[in-house]
Amino acid sequence: MARMGMVFDLKTCIGCNACVVACKQENSLPDGVFFTKTLSEEYGVFPLANRVYIPTICNHCDDAPCEKVCPSGATYTRHDGIVMVDDAKCIGCSSCAVACPYDQRTTMDADNFLKGLFGTGEITPFEKEGYARYTPGTVTKCDFCSQRVDANLDPACVVTCPTNARIFGDLDDPHSAPSKMIRERNGRPPMPEKNTRPKVYYVN
Amino acid sequence: MTTAPPTANSLKSGRWIASTCKMCLHSCGNLIHVTDTGVINKIEGNPSNPSNNGKLCPKGNAAIMRHYDPNRFKQPMRRTNPEKGVGIDPMWEPISWEEALEYTAAQIKKSLDEDPRKILPSLEDFQKFNIWAWPLSFGNFNFYQSGGTMCGGAYHPVNGFIHSAFACANDAKHCNYWINNGTGDGFSSHLHAAAQANWVAKARTERGMRVVAVEPRLSIAAAKAEEWVPIRPATDRHFAMGMSHVLVYEGLCDYRALKRDTNAPYLVGEDGYFIRDDNRQCYIWDKKNQCAKLWNDETIEEIALEGNYEFNGKPCRPAFQVYKDILADCSPEAMEKITTVPADTIRRIAREFARAAQIGATIKVEDGRTLPLRPAAYNYYRGAQGHKHGAQTNHSFKLVNMLIGNIDTPGGHMGVTLDPKEVDFNHCSMGESGMLKPTPHQLGPVPGFHYPPSTYHMMDYFPLGVHPPHFNLLMHENREKFGVEFTPDVIVNCHSNPVWAIHGSREKWFEFLRGMRFIVCVDIIPTEMTDFADVILPSHDVLESWNCTMIEPPHTEGQCFRQPATPPLHDTKSEEDIFYELSERLGILEAYNNVINLTLGFEGHPELMLELDKKYTDKEIARRKGLLWDGNDIEYYMEHGHSVTEKRLDKWYRPWEGCRLHFYIEDYLVERDKLKQQMEDANVPFRHEWEWDDYQPLPSSTLDPVHEEPPEYDLYAITFKDIQLNFGESLSNPWIKDIVYRDPVHTGLLLNPKTAAAQGLEKGSIVKVESPYGRLYGRISVSEGMHPETLGVSNALSRMKSKAAGVLPAGGHYNDMLPYDLKNTDAASAQPETVCKVKLTRLDDWPDFLKQGRTVYDLVEDYETAKGKGGHH
Ligand code: SF4
Ligand code: SF4
Ligand code: SF4
Repeated sequence: MARMGMVFDLKTCIGCNACVVACKQENSLPDGVFFTKTLSEEYGVFPLANRVYIPTICNHCDDAPCEKVCPSGATYTRHDGIVMVDDAKCIGCSSCAVACPYDQRTTMDADNFLKGLFGTGEITPFEKEGYARYTPGTVTKCDFCSQRVDANLDPACVVTCPTNARIFGDLDDPHSAPSKMIRERNGRPPMPEKNTRPKVYYVN
Repeated sequence: MTTAPPTANSLKSGRWIASTCKMCLHSCGNLIHVTDTGVINKIEGNPSNPSNNGKLCPKGNAAIMRHYDPNRFKQPMRRTNPEKGVGIDPMWEPISWEEALEYTAAQIKKSLDEDPRKILPSLEDFQKFNIWAWPLSFGNFNFYQSGGTMCGGAYHPVNGFIHSAFACANDAKHCNYWINNGTGDGFSSHLHAAAQANWVAKARTERGMRVVAVEPRLSIAAAKAEEWVPIRPATDRHFAMGMSHVLVYEGLCDYRALKRDTNAPYLVGEDGYFIRDDNRQCYIWDKKNQCAKLWNDETIEEIALEGNYEFNGKPCRPAFQVYKDILADCSPEAMEKITTVPADTIRRIAREFARAAQIGATIKVEDGRTLPLRPAAYNYYRGAQGHKHGAQTNHSFKLVNMLIGNIDTPGGHMGVTLDPKEVDFNHCSMGESGMLKPTPHQLGPVPGFHYPPSTYHMMDYFPLGVHPPHFNLLMHENREKFGVEFTPDVIVNCHSNPVWAIHGSREKWFEFLRGMRFIVCVDIIPTEMTDFADVILPSHDVLESWNCTMIEPPHTEGQCFRQPATPPLHDTKSEEDIFYELSERLGILEAYNNVINLTLGFEGHPELMLELDKKYTDKEIARRKGLLWDGNDIEYYMEHGHSVTEKRLDKWYRPWEGCRLHFYIEDYLVERDKLKQQMEDANVPFRHEWEWDDYQPLPSSTLDPVHEEPPEYDLYAITFKDIQLNFGESLSNPWIKDIVYRDPVHTGLLLNPKTAAAQGLEKGSIVKVESPYGRLYGRISVSEGMHPETLGVSNALSRMKSKAAGVLPAGGHYNDMLPYDLKNTDAASAQPETVCKVKLTRLDDWPDFLKQGRTVYDLVEDYETAKGKGGHH
């Protein structure tokens, strides 16, 4: 059994957001909707000030509060650990969005699809074809590009990252690139105090 | 098991086409996915291209949104509203291609027949030099586009002097100590951002390469660097000279390289010229024999770099000693006063840099040569070099590198040619006295001296410069003074937005444009510039057209091939079709083919040369460029999308082997005196105003005039871009807009919080920002990542209200605050100052013009109040 996970290398991430745009491309996300974001956080005082770029994504928690609260069984964990939402079952109650400590869930309002990416109401052929996958009124999030994973491809954000700051693979395999990185560079999960057991780690 | 069709775009049934990105001027290899229904739904990097290694920057990831932009120009159009202005609807009327071309050609022809200088070209397609060079077909050297000095004014000529190349980069493959001064090289901008970011990330993680970023603002490079060195704007040269002082006075130089590979030992007379014999050969001082000998005299026993000597009764010094004497006044302590960088920091970085350079070390490279290994390098770009004394500034950075012997050496500071093919055209050859032949005109021929001027931007007076587009305005306002005898009345524009980009007041530029009899724009989407067009000739976009190019790639070479992933969505044409059709109607077809043969290098290859009376498609020209590179025909390129390989090492490392590099650039004096004489002979009235001191064979520590503005302007202002905004238009793209305006550095005028407090301002204060030359309005953001004397203005806050383009204004344009005069322009290179002094005034409310319609600040507020959209944690 695999446990697919991702490591973010905070040493190399340049906050370019290529990953964010690649995700928007791959998933035909409407304007203002993100499955992944790169935050830019400043710290320290001049002249020792610095800024860190922090990629964020659904952590595919082993102990996922979103899954626990989901009343319809729409949220489930796949054989390889990817946390999925079945929009045929989702009733749009948004309990999961409240339960997720990482704010990683988005309710796809119908108006998301009406104004179009250019905000004019004109829907481009790209959107027309891509929006078909979504059911308005349901909740959605990153699924580690599960279909790409099935096809033996890395997620879209990973392949485009110019600095290789996103490393994806099987955390159960001690020889996988992310396992090695977590071990060698002391990988830490986000907000461990929430006890959700993320499959996403950060190294510095 | 279900077999539901995939929903992920890249997995839908369709095909992948190997092509090339053009969201900036570089040329990353990409793969374009087209579904069975003909929709382009995913673009990825092409992993077989060793330049970008399958990576794309955010802009490269966003090309689909340019393609499907509903605002695209869908057919040729003619304006019906005589009133021109940004945001004023031109009331386009669709016309046929035939009518559009006939009408446009007739309008251009009128000026061409009267005086070809009345045509103002604004052709900025940097992936198609066959379009760029079009004006040469009628001997026109005018220039009204945003490249030129707006990009790298003094940078290109100095690269031409030092490396005989167009651009420069640090060698990420071997470097261990990487200084970035006012550049994003390896992090966010400069050459091939996506590719170089990939190389540099590897160097940092695999080799532990140390990065030092010298900048007034905590840029991306500075945020990633091991050390950020905040510096007062427009003092980068002084930092470099402070470092050089330490290298020279502490004996930390690569003396062997300086003696053997540079003109640093050549003897210089009191007039600044080299001492020469009757055959114009230079001399070197032989310390052992206490006499001067010709540079190539094999009996020289000990080359002197230092000392004061006498030759034929006249005092002389080695060029190295001349610089050493200049550097005497540039101690770290003295430079601290100018740069605000602590002397200890300058001294420490210089020593670390010299130590990392491993002077004396060698490396055996794959081509069998044993070369010096100098894994320390200093790179810079627009932010650091864009100053009044641009030529000297660029030169000062080169000299930091040359002192440690790292020019074009493994781990060092590298010259990069504009087109990889140049290395096969002998881009390095020997000039005078064993020195590398300088090639300062990296962007093609220059007009030479004329008075009255033959160009509207005064290129006649910059024998060693790059086109200064800002001088079109200076000339326009001072026609009598500069003696110009013609007035441009036609603009031919292609993928260029000068009215958005160039120094000076937007209002004045609007007037300038309104004075034109006719403006044609060849473009894809509306911009500030197209709001002034009389005719739009819509072109295909990058996903619909052919091309073959590779622009200034570090580490790799080859050609990147563009091919259509889809038939054109709209009634558009390729740039080639448009310019051939116009050329034929203008009667310049033969001349144009001649120019293309020369520009693209077909000349001398009979099988590739264009026949003069024929018109060629974008596809055919792309095919020939591929053939020219490696003999592969179009089928090869269509299959692979590129022919990129690692650089041939003999063309990358020390391609000038056997020549001496220009430590001392005597040509600045030669050209200065030549120009002086020409101006004298022609009795040029403004010759006494010309800034003759700008021509220096070595950098001086003179201050740029921006530091001498009246004291009420108590802050410096700088502008910047990041990787999401690199080169050209970005913000009309919804995906780019969606990431840029969520990044705090792009959503307000950046001030250090202490400075803000001292000015009585806080986050959110609305301010008027005034320089001696112009103003803008904005909202204050505070950041500890700002030098306390500096206001940072993102380029994302510079757009003008243009309904069609869907971009949002923010309160003015940084470049309105920049001067466009002789005083603040480098006479040696035409580089204008890009920093200004400003004063801030707090306002209670936005001025009225910003209350009408949405601004960037309204959008940012919407983002901040939006809920449940997958936000922060
Ligand atoms: S693409 Fe890579 S470097 Fe760029 S923001 Fe995403 S994780 Fe960071
Ligand atoms: S990050 Fe949030 S949405 Fe993702 S699995 Fe964990 S709780 Fe669920
Ligand atoms: S760096 Fe330039 S060429 Fe490369 S992906 Fe980005 S926009 Fe495209």
